Amino acid sequence: MIEAILAGLTALLTPQALLFMLIGVVYGLVIGILPGLGGVVAMALLLPFTYGFETAATLALLLGAHIATIWGDSVTSILFSVPGSAKGLALCFDGYPMTKKGQAKRALAASATGALLGGIIGAIFLALCIPLIRPVILALGPSEYLMMALWGLTVIATFSEGSLMKGLTASVLGVLVAFIGMDVVTATPRFTFGSEFLMDGISFPVAMIGLFAVSEMMKLAIKGTPIVDRSLVKEESTVWQGVQDAFRHWWLVARSSLLGLWIGVLPGVGASVAGLAAYAQAVQTSKTPERFGKGAVEGVIAPDATMGANEGGGLMPTLAFGIPGGESMAILLVAFIGLGVVPGPDMLTKNLDLVFSMVWIIVIANIAVTVIGLGITPWLARLPSLQANLMVPIVLAVCFVGAYATRGHIEDVVVAAVFGIVGYLMDKYHYSRANFVIGMVLAVMIERNLHISLTLYGRDFLLERPIALAMLLFVLVTAALPFVRNWRRKRRQAAGAAAP
Amino acid sequence: MKNKIENAVENEVEKTRRKLMFAGAMAPVVMSMPGRVFAQAGGGYYKDKVIIINVAGGASGGHTRFARLLQPYLQKHSGAREVRIVNMPGGGGLKAANHIWRVKPGSPEIFFGNVSTLLLAPLAGSPGAQSLDPVKFNYLGRVTSEPRVLCVGGKSAIKTIQDVQKLKRPFVYPSQGTDEDFYTMAVLGDALGFKVKAVTGYEGNADTSLAVIKGDGDGHITGWSESLGPIRSGDKNPILMVTSQPSPDYPQIPIATNIVPAAKRATVQAMATILETHRSYIGPPNMDPQAIAAFRAVVTAALSDPELLAESKKNERLVSPMDGVTQQKRITELAKSSASLAPILVAAVKDIQ
Repeated sequence: MIEAILAGLTALLTPQALLFMLIGVVYGLVIGILPGLGGVVAMALLLPFTYGFETAATLALLLGAHIATIWGDSVTSILFSVPGSAKGLALCFDGYPMTKKGQAKRALAASATGALLGGIIGAIFLALCIPLIRPVILALGPSEYLMMALWGLTVIATFSEGSLMKGLTASVLGVLVAFIGMDVVTATPRFTFGSEFLMDGISFPVAMIGLFAVSEMMKLAIKGTPIVDRSLVKEESTVWQGVQDAFRHWWLVARSSLLGLWIGVLPGVGASVAGLAAYAQAVQTSKTPERFGKGAVEGVIAPDATMGANEGGGLMPTLAFGIPGGESMAILLVAFIGLGVVPGPDMLTKNLDLVFSMVWIIVIANIAVTVIGLGITPWLARLPSLQANLMVPIVLAVCFVGAYATRGHIEDVVVAAVFGIVGYLMDKYHYSRANFVIGMVLAVMIERNLHISLTLYGRDFLLERPIALAMLLFVLVTAALPFVRNWRRKRRQAAGAAAP
Repeated sequence: MKNKIENAVENEVEKTRRKLMFAGAMAPVVMSMPGRVFAQAGGGYYKDKVIIINVAGGASGGHTRFARLLQPYLQKHSGAREVRIVNMPGGGGLKAANHIWRVKPGSPEIFFGNVSTLLLAPLAGSPGAQSLDPVKFNYLGRVTSEPRVLCVGGKSAIKTIQDVQKLKRPFVYPSQGTDEDFYTMAVLGDALGFKVKAVTGYEGNADTSLAVIKGDGDGHITGWSESLGPIRSGDKNPILMVTSQPSPDYPQIPIATNIVPAAKRATVQAMATILETHRSYIGPPNMDPQAIAAFRAVVTAALSDPELLAESKKNERLVSPMDGVTQQKRITELAKSSASLAPILVAAVKDIQ
């Protein structure tokens, strides 16, 4: 195996491969920052230019671009509450409040370092776990995916501070919106009102652009002040603080990375769920969960570490079975065919050096993204202090172009505007927008996997799937943990007050 | 000395500016070269126009791969200024089909996707296809037709189609919804006398493939190329093909029409013929006859271009053309002869609802 690890690295140390990786990373950062465009678009646009080059260079270009989009997504989520794609959603919850508190540099640096550490930890564990990958993938199925989605749901309580009823109402609204379109089980149109556009459902990235970005710009336009008014809030944080934060929360980073790797290995679960699950895990294991949603740096580090590690995990079903785990992996599979690489069980035995080349690409691309990211953070952190009359038209224009670019439908621009108004009203009347999107992301995943589990294994499916049962117990324990901690703290405080 | 240097710099700047201006002026000429060098098919109807290809699938799907493979050759042989690919996923192809059904006369939009969806969805009474009449579309040429193959898991106890017939329980069929493979399975179950339990809700072929490899489901139907990798690695075992021609590489795999009872042969043959219509260019019902003839000629020219054939072979995306006129006739006949499929398809949809 050590030979394969070294051979994988050597293949990358050619001028062409290194240059291609650099091009991919810079290009991926730009694409990631643009709302509506993510890793899939980045890879799809590069694909026609990949034929005829070295295998390692081609993979460095594609994977480098894909990996760079992760931090690109995080940048706009943190600075403007504009999630570049579904992956960046969880970064809005605490990253944007940090920006508003004058901690943009710290948040951006923590995010970049978290993604780097996640990528490296994920790659190391991936390399160690290669012999286990096939059995793990074969052991997991719809019941286990269902449990992952349920775990994501538990985060709803975090955003329901003040009124659980309002929190649940927001989630139910999200679920209802997710059900618009063709029913995934019976192929029957739902809530489409005869509209051809609605048959394909409401695009999740478009809804997010509306709910978060457009509504925030509406608020800014009404208030007439920048996101961060430097006369009131000074940017006092530093890049170094953010880097230190990521290392100080090393245990959170390690847990989040392994979670990301795990979710990546499950085909069809997706990075948006990964971000939410990482956030849920950070909240539930925190001793001070009440800080989340108000600018807790752990809420930035955990999703980024998870998504950094997620990419390596996502490679595995593609390499081990020749079955792409998602759209970006399907594009990689097309590149494999062009390169004459045949994915399948042999990839994990006979072509191990190529697998390790990809693991190295993940590591090196993550390092490159972090170095570039930390370098440009001081400049990026100035953007939220732009005056509203400059910021609002620029961000709105980018948002609406992004909404259109998501699927190429002009109707999506209208959807983004409508969701902008909905988001503004929800924020004004304290209905959690985060809960809305959590309901939206997880609804179809729960519906799909619950239906398959019930059809395949019957009503007692948990008894037939011991891993799913163990995961359910884990979900229950982690969901109860904050409440138990809260109860203990109150009891201690009561005991302290009662003591003479 | 300083002035000399400044002058030299200014001269260089001026030279560079002139070069850029020249390059800018020449760019349109150079960019239009392919259209001028090659004789244009279709009498130059599409010369300098924009053609929009609405692909009935996502950016990473099989339809898009073929659409992108053909894109430069369509441009080369039509002389079009641009051949634009627009992805229109949704409803198993019905979203794009409905869109092209409704486009205004003179629109430059063409559908690219699976013809079988247009034929099967209305037969099954699918809610998204009620307004569509497959015969009224203009068929502009088939790009490829892959045989469909029924595979079981490599470690499954089921080794042959006869094993499926002998099962004392329904054959568990993981499915992503009511696509052509779902309908094909229903027809096979009816013809070969075994019960099918369709488990819908899977996200795509990757998902159903894993379900079959894991043993969550007994088997599923895919295009030949989609299952080739897992078949070669032993993760899947092919037990039946729904096609007219046996596979040259796997001649031992039985052909559905050869093993079904005589009374059911016509039904299965109708299904196989529908599946063979596969990935094609389709124009809207109100398309200008001149445009129809021109686009058919362009597709035929593109599909016989030696460069395209070499590229398709290299990338394992083999083409199997059928010209638009033949295809139009074939679809009209199919629409009449496939009425016998309707009750089976309607029952299959009812089962999952």
